[in-house]
Amino acid sequence: MEDPPSANGKTNSYAEFMQAVYRTVDRPVTWFREKVVVSNRPDHVYYHQKFRRVPTIDECYTDDLVCRFEAQQQFNRDKLVDSEIVQLVRQRYKECLISEQPDHTRKCAKLMADFQQVSENFCMKYSDLGPLNNVKDAYMKQKHRMLWERRHGKVGTGMKDQDAL
Amino acid sequence: MTKDRLADLQAGILVLRSNPNNALQVVRQMSEHRTMHIKPSRWSWNRFKDFMHFYIMLGAIPAALVITYVNLFIGPARLAEIPEGYVPEAHEYFPHPITRWMAKHINKSYQQEYELMCHHIYEVEYEQKLRKAEHRIKQKMAEKQDTQAYYYQPVTSRNERSIRVNTETDIEMSGTN
Repeated sequence: MEDPPSANGKTNSYAEFMQAVYRTVDRPVTWFREKVVVSNRPDHVYYHQKFRRVPTIDECYTDDLVCRFEAQQQFNRDKLVDSEIVQLVRQRYKECLISEQPDHTRKCAKLMADFQQVSENFCMKYSDLGPLNNVKDAYMKQKHRMLWERRHGKVGTGMKDQDAL
Repeated sequence: MTKDRLADLQAGILVLRSNPNNALQVVRQMSEHRTMHIKPSRWSWNRFKDFMHFYIMLGAIPAALVITYVNLFIGPARLAEIPEGYVPEAHEYFPHPITRWMAKHINKSYQQEYELMCHHIYEVEYEQKLRKAEHRIKQKMAEKQDTQAYYYQPVTSRNERSIRVNTETDIEMSGTN
């Protein structure tokens, strides 16, 4: 709100006037909040919940539905956490873009590479599975991807031999 | 009635008269004398006013007062690290005081619902497995035809015992014929 103190000591009377007008509204409100409202509030805290790790889907027996349910819930929680991580990385990259225009291709290259990597990993695990989170589908996707990579090399380098499947 | 009013009436001039049922109503004093005044119904308007009063005085205003008080004088919680060896209760994971109150007194916690679901799945899975086993056994019995299963009728005597008790009570009360 306030400008930083000027380096050469000269003041702008127009800016001073506008700031004085702002203060006529801001001062009473701030006083009320700090003296009346915040002082009378009890100081209570809240925490972020930490969950224990449970066996994942690849460690569950095939006929153990309770284990599968727990793996599914853990998968859902992990998906939320991973989405937030991707969101944070994306936000950092965007902020760099906006503040470093027009040098963004040079200055934000590392952040761009990070974002590409993170979103690629996220899509490897969670994308193309349909609207419902299914931990078994994700597991099978991983299995199929590993088989494909065993046959054809890394994803993105093309299939070696169509008939070799 | 005063004289000038009587004169007005006799002249047939429109007179505004206050109606004991409701507000003002134009009455033309010409020939009829009605006890029930025919007028458009004010039932909808009265009901509308009742609803407005109900929802505003008992709904909006108390809610606004409570929410204002809670936001001003209790305020949201601040985030802190979980202390060593301390297990926070379910309601301590929310910042806003009203959400905390609801989590403490009204809603089931995440852990409670999770464990209820685990138990439910366990029970259902058990019954599923029993049914599948029974199906497999019946199939095998049908294939091999080597058991005398067709002689065995699974019977409980619960109903028969209850009927006997009822019959004895009836005979005691009303006698035999």
